[in-house]
Amino acid sequence: MIYVLYSIVFVICVYTGRHYWFTLNRLFGFQRHPYIDIDTADWPPVTVLVAAHNEEKVIANILDALMTVKYPVDKMLVIPVNDRSTDRTREIVDKFVEDFPGRIQPFHRVGGKGGKAAALKDAMELVTTEVILIFDADYLPGTGLIKQLVAPFFDLEVGGVMGRVVPMNVGANLLTRLLDLERSGGYQVDQQARMNLRLVPQHGGTVAGVRLSALREIGGWNENSLTEDTDLTYRLLLNGWKTVYQNRSECYEEVPEVWPVRIRQIMRWAKGHNQAMATYGFRLLLGKHRATLRERIDGTLLLGVYAMAPITLVGWALALAVFYQGVAPLHGVIAVLSLTAYAALGNLAAFFEIAAAARLDGTRKRVALLPFLILGFAVSIFSVSRAAVSQLSDLVTGAEFHWDKTERFRKVL
Amino acid sequence: MNPFLAVAILVCTAGLLFVLPLLPALVELRRKSDALPLSVVQQNAGEIRHFANSFRDYIKDLEPIMQVCVAAGTSATGTLPDGEEYLVLGRLDEPLMRALAQRDATHPVVIAAGADLIAPPHSTFSRDIYAGGNFQGGEKNNYRAILGEKDVRLGASSRVMRWAHAVGEFTADLGCGLFGRISSDSLIRLHANCSFLRLNAPRIEVGHAVNREQGLPDSGFPSNAGVLPRFLHDGDFEVHAGQIIRSNMVIRGRLLLCSGARVCGSVKSLDDMVLEDDVSVEGSLIGARKLSIGPHCTIRGPVIAERELAIAAGTRCGAREHPTTVSAPSIEVEEGVLVFGTLWARERGLVVASP
Repeated sequence: MIYVLYSIVFVICVYTGRHYWFTLNRLFGFQRHPYIDIDTADWPPVTVLVAAHNEEKVIANILDALMTVKYPVDKMLVIPVNDRSTDRTREIVDKFVEDFPGRIQPFHRVGGKGGKAAALKDAMELVTTEVILIFDADYLPGTGLIKQLVAPFFDLEVGGVMGRVVPMNVGANLLTRLLDLERSGGYQVDQQARMNLRLVPQHGGTVAGVRLSALREIGGWNENSLTEDTDLTYRLLLNGWKTVYQNRSECYEEVPEVWPVRIRQIMRWAKGHNQAMATYGFRLLLGKHRATLRERIDGTLLLGVYAMAPITLVGWALALAVFYQGVAPLHGVIAVLSLTAYAALGNLAAFFEIAAAARLDGTRKRVALLPFLILGFAVSIFSVSRAAVSQLSDLVTGAEFHWDKTERFRKVL
Repeated sequence: MNPFLAVAILVCTAGLLFVLPLLPALVELRRKSDALPLSVVQQNAGEIRHFANSFRDYIKDLEPIMQVCVAAGTSATGTLPDGEEYLVLGRLDEPLMRALAQRDATHPVVIAAGADLIAPPHSTFSRDIYAGGNFQGGEKNNYRAILGEKDVRLGASSRVMRWAHAVGEFTADLGCGLFGRISSDSLIRLHANCSFLRLNAPRIEVGHAVNREQGLPDSGFPSNAGVLPRFLHDGDFEVHAGQIIRSNMVIRGRLLLCSGARVCGSVKSLDDMVLEDDVSVEGSLIGARKLSIGPHCTIRGPVIAERELAIAAGTRCGAREHPTTVSAPSIEVEEGVLVFGTLWARERGLVVASP
């Protein structure tokens, strides 16, 4: 039992070190933004897929925004992927098709398997361009975003591109403010540090792009995946393609405003991530492919992010058990030093990262909310652990994954 | 002490210590003083002419005054709505400009000229300048920003601190320092020892006039071939002299493209990359470290180096009908280089005399 506890402590220390490495890199290291300066080019044709399932509250906003972006009109086609919507999504999309002839080609899906990946897979029959961009319907792209997301595809090593997601409804309540801080840490520090260090920036499946030839090479969208973005990241990596992150390609999104929606969202992410870990983890770390050693290590750690919640809970339980059994794993000064070191550094790693992100974003007072993140952390650790248990139970019973759509909070137009 | 009281004090103290770090958070949660979405550049999208366009709007109200001054050959002074003082010149008026430049350091004004404008040498203009006609600057001048409706020419060793835009041609004589955004709707011409950061024009000539507008020589590869295959190689690689490669290349090592080599697709190298003379690339050229482009090369797509970029005389990047971007943190360009589109040095760009 004690050795299991030691192993858990070791893994937690690795993740703590990783947090510090990323944060210090963002604060003091060389920053890579190689494609952001490409503002003049012979821009390639691009298809913009907008994934929409019952999105009457938001679909008009994104279509409006896409019609005003700065990209050659004759080279950009928008395909709203209306996936079995039962609300007014179809009606709204068709109105836009009428208003902007030749610029929007709708894909109304009325049957088939549920989930974004399955919908995107079916929509691919309409795609003929080498560059594909993907947005969820609740996003609001700025005028320069399309060019910024297309620019990295001039690099033939790039198979996927990810932009930065910025919450729009920050001020709604405590949850949205905490999610704003989390997103800031995740993108401003985590993703950009991975880009700087040539590790594995993660494809987010929205505000993102993929190269058609790369997608075909890896077998297209995986409709069995709960998180098609994570799945895509790893299949691209295993096949010699890179995913790059563009920190300055920012796009507004709407974050959940109520805890149950947030919990369902994070549980789906956890299940999808764990699914990818089971599918690609071993092959990524030890298999024969073109990923570098640092990509293998970072990719594996990234896959294990959501597994850390149940592992931490097990660690806490083991620590209590060991204590009440009268076992003292460390003695005297070593124990005091270890506790002090962890209290001073370990507990603070994630908070340090988010505080650094807030600093890099130039925000001032929102960082004061940092102590409340412990609340978000508590909710996450139990939700993610619950997702892991439910996933294991599904594995035993043979139950199928269920796709939970994230609820929108914008008012219907 | 009463044990009950002791416990109560302990609980209260512990509670206070717990709540204390949350106080700023509670205050911020209630006041929402920093609860707006992060500011994302949604509209100008990094457009190089953004400042020039804004300045044109800013001085729109001076247009009638300029017309009057031009017609009467006089000058006028006044104050803009935001309190900035202005001077409108209706004719070439070098003595007035000289007097103005001398007092400028302590009393800067926006200068708007309805006609051609000549700026005296050794002067500092710490407010924006508008020239309705041509603008000719003297030697060793310092400018904040210039907007010229026709040609703009800077005298030797002059400096632009923020931006300059010429509707006509923009020319910087020997040793100018161009900090910020420089753009032209027709042509930018830089002479030796000029430093620069961000340039954009349909045609950028570095040094002596060059005239290499002809397209790439025919590679014999069908233009309708669709997406080219990707050649992925781990380790160093060399494309031999005169060799034609009909694919995209991704080299995870150093790459040498020898004289006269031709790549029909794009090229990426994860280490240093060297192009010898007369190499042509029909797609993009991306170097993860240093990129050295030899003389008389032709690159059609974007050229990106993540560390340093050197371009030798006679090389052409982009084409009139296919403008492109050349970018790196540090760029050295020899006289005789021609770029169509954007030339962007993130930290330092320098024109060096060709040997």
